[in-house]
Amino acid sequence: MDTLQYALRKLVTGIPLVLGVTFISFVLMVYFGPDKTYDLIGKNATPEQIAEIRADLGYDQPFFVRYGDYLRELVTLDFGYSDSTGERVSRILARTIPISLALTLPGFILGNALGVLLALIAGFFRGGLIDRAIMAGAVVGMSISFLIIIIGFQVLLSSSYGLNYFPVRGWEVYSLGDYLYYVTVPTLAIVFVSLGYNTRFYRAVVVEEMNRDHVRTARAFGTPPAKLLFRNVLRNAAIPIMTRIMFSIPLVVISGSLLIESYFGIPGVGKVTYDAITTGDQPILKAVVGATAVLFVLTLIATDVMYKVIDPRVSLK
Amino acid sequence: MLNRTPRILSAAATAVALTTFAACGGGGQPQTKADGTPLKVYRHSMDGAPVNLDPVQSAVIYSNFVVLNTYDTLYSYKYLTRPYELKPNLAKALPDVSEDGLTYTIQLKEGSGFIDDPAFPDGKGREVVAQDFVYSIKRHFDPQNRSQGAWLWQGKIVGLDEWKENGADYGEDVEGLKALDDHTVQIKLVKPFPQLIYTLAMGFSGIVPREAVEKYGRELSVHPVGSGPFRMERFTTAKAVLVPNKNFRQEPVDLAAEGYDPELHGQFGLEAIDGKAPPFVDRLEIDFITETASRWASFTSDKEVQYSHVPVEQVDGVLASKDPITLKKEWSDRYFSYYGTEAGFVYTYFNMDRPALGTSDDPDTDAKNKALRCAMVDAFSWAERNARFYSGIGNVFPGVITPVVPEFDPETPRDSVTQDMDAARKALKDAGWTPETLPEITYGHVASVTNRQMFEQFRGFMVELGFPVDKVRGDSYATFGDFNKGIKTNKFDVGGLGWGLDYPDAENTLQLFYGPNHTPGSNNANYSNPEFDALYKQTAVMQPGPERTEIYRRMNQMVIDDCVALTGLSRTRIYLWHKNVIGLPDREILGGFWLKYVDVKTGDAE
Repeated sequence: MDTLQYALRKLVTGIPLVLGVTFISFVLMVYFGPDKTYDLIGKNATPEQIAEIRADLGYDQPFFVRYGDYLRELVTLDFGYSDSTGERVSRILARTIPISLALTLPGFILGNALGVLLALIAGFFRGGLIDRAIMAGAVVGMSISFLIIIIGFQVLLSSSYGLNYFPVRGWEVYSLGDYLYYVTVPTLAIVFVSLGYNTRFYRAVVVEEMNRDHVRTARAFGTPPAKLLFRNVLRNAAIPIMTRIMFSIPLVVISGSLLIESYFGIPGVGKVTYDAITTGDQPILKAVVGATAVLFVLTLIATDVMYKVIDPRVSLK
Repeated sequence: MLNRTPRILSAAATAVALTTFAACGGGGQPQTKADGTPLKVYRHSMDGAPVNLDPVQSAVIYSNFVVLNTYDTLYSYKYLTRPYELKPNLAKALPDVSEDGLTYTIQLKEGSGFIDDPAFPDGKGREVVAQDFVYSIKRHFDPQNRSQGAWLWQGKIVGLDEWKENGADYGEDVEGLKALDDHTVQIKLVKPFPQLIYTLAMGFSGIVPREAVEKYGRELSVHPVGSGPFRMERFTTAKAVLVPNKNFRQEPVDLAAEGYDPELHGQFGLEAIDGKAPPFVDRLEIDFITETASRWASFTSDKEVQYSHVPVEQVDGVLASKDPITLKKEWSDRYFSYYGTEAGFVYTYFNMDRPALGTSDDPDTDAKNKALRCAMVDAFSWAERNARFYSGIGNVFPGVITPVVPEFDPETPRDSVTQDMDAARKALKDAGWTPETLPEITYGHVASVTNRQMFEQFRGFMVELGFPVDKVRGDSYATFGDFNKGIKTNKFDVGGLGWGLDYPDAENTLQLFYGPNHTPGSNNANYSNPEFDALYKQTAVMQPGPERTEIYRRMNQMVIDDCVALTGLSRTRIYLWHKNVIGLPDREILGGFWLKYVDVKTGDAE
């Protein structure tokens, strides 16, 4: 009951956050974003046609009328039609978000799981050769551009210059086999690029935990390394680890991965969002910004609730 | 702990096995028909993606390409004839034109059907009738549709502009656009418009059934309902999957009539389609791949897209010789190839409405500015532009009449495209310009590495000419829309642009310099020359012929002599395609029309 009350209270206090985010974003869209009018006009437009398009896009309305429309759209979850493709925004998101999730989730899970595992090993052997090797690998992973990693994996695994086992592009998923066929190379690229960042962050958390008295005591009592790492260290380091993972979720769900989607020809939400930003497709941008803000508020609440699950000493007030 | 190890190993082994299984056999849609025979699938690639598939908004080449395969047009182009030549498509024959050139009567073929779609009663596509054509053209003049093609017919068809002004009521007839009966269209023009027939071969004139517009509304843009050779099965920003429209009329290919020449085309196996009715493939997939590296990897993997043009960065690796263009043996062994000059050109215009380089009411200033522009033309090296950005295989030509149109004159003097720095410096000095008095000029471009490099190259030539480096400034725009806004609102003095021909007639590029088309129209240079404008008006009603060609060439020379632009270059495109594909790709005037002729050799046939 307390948890429910807390969640509702947090939900209410999240409203100003959503309003703030949407307002700032809308100011940026309207005053600093691309003007869609000149993307839509024909090759030989007249001033009248330009005025017609501006009116159709709603650009001739005062700012606050347009922002009011945005809030109404946010409440009714009806963002109308994309200014570029003419497709209903809700349909675009319903089609592309699941694809992006299916694409990025394996890499996200593996990247974090392996990151924690490597961080535990590095932390355990802190200062030693294994620690240094893992950290050197992490720095290498962080130093190589994502684009190079993608192209590198494509050449190695998907081209006639390499093994040519997997597709360069596409997303024709009708079975588990298809899914693994299309998701393997993107997942490897995601894991490769995220592992370095994750390992470094989690190692710092693990090292801090390793220095605590209770870990020292457990070691002194001869607790086996695996038990020590998983029970004494990981459990107590769970809060910062979970915080990092939870706050990555909205980005995984909404943003997808633009580069992965572009280079592998996968029709996910990342590409849709990028195109909307670069062309000033405001209906899509409004939906994505609004959904991200709401998702962040929900994540915030879920994270707080999970803190209590992980550590009963945490009080939800 | 010990008994967990086998479980972990087993999980890892399963993952490896699944991935191996995926690598060996996964991937995609069915490749065989229900009876087990292999499906004919052709995978095309394009270097950009269509955003909107409604014919009224098909200005972008990628949209037009798909629209021409899902919608029918009255006319199209002969598959293999070059220069491009029109032929009837849904129309029975070329139009019957009245003596005065004002009334066009067009008979439609009978029995051509729209695709089966829920928009129609019982989901069965009905026959295409003349009223559909009338409705489709009217849609361009309905302000709700944000038409990008209305300019083609604006002020040209009797009563159409008035129909728009009166509220675009589809129940109201337009005097100049009538369906005389189910299979006869009549178009009455305000004045002769010889290019009309070309416009009826463009995606803009794709025939849309009213039922589909009423059912799908704006979402017709992603749900094409036409009577073209294909039906859209699936469409995303990454890919379009099309299957044959089973209601498409059965018309066997007459290869000889399409312009087949055994010497030119014999190697491509096109004889196989002679006498057979297209479309030939069971599934047409078009991958939209903006990233060059990805497109090239997909093409050369030999199991994905079956067509690609050679990207600029691969030209040196693929070609054995640039003049004439020949492929290295390892590439010609693997792929079919063909090359041609684009139907369009790139140019850099000077904005005549801006004081820095433009025209002036004061004759001295006007003459001085013209001398400056001409010096800039002399200082610019098209040879270096071609070598640096177009692999040295672009076709540099003087003026704005491009090499692919019949009015092109190869004998036009090439001074305007030949760098002469000494003459440029002398002209500048003679006109009284000094580094101190030279104006500050802004060069607008879309933000990208290539565009930035093009600007820097331009600036380099100008600095060599005598401009202080800080007087030539770049004005970078994040998107094409913003850049276009900059052009249409006269924000900069110099701008680099490309123009794709809408039809193979020099009028289409000469109109870029016609005074009344000034910004926000297509005359981005805001060039205004009464003599040029008078000749343009004169030729606008003339049928093609030597007299019109002669006037076109005079107009071309005026643009050159007035130094309105650095112009121009038509890019050379090299097409490669897999050897199991029967076809001759084209992305120029013929564009999407060629895909209905493509065929694929299946395993048995090879």
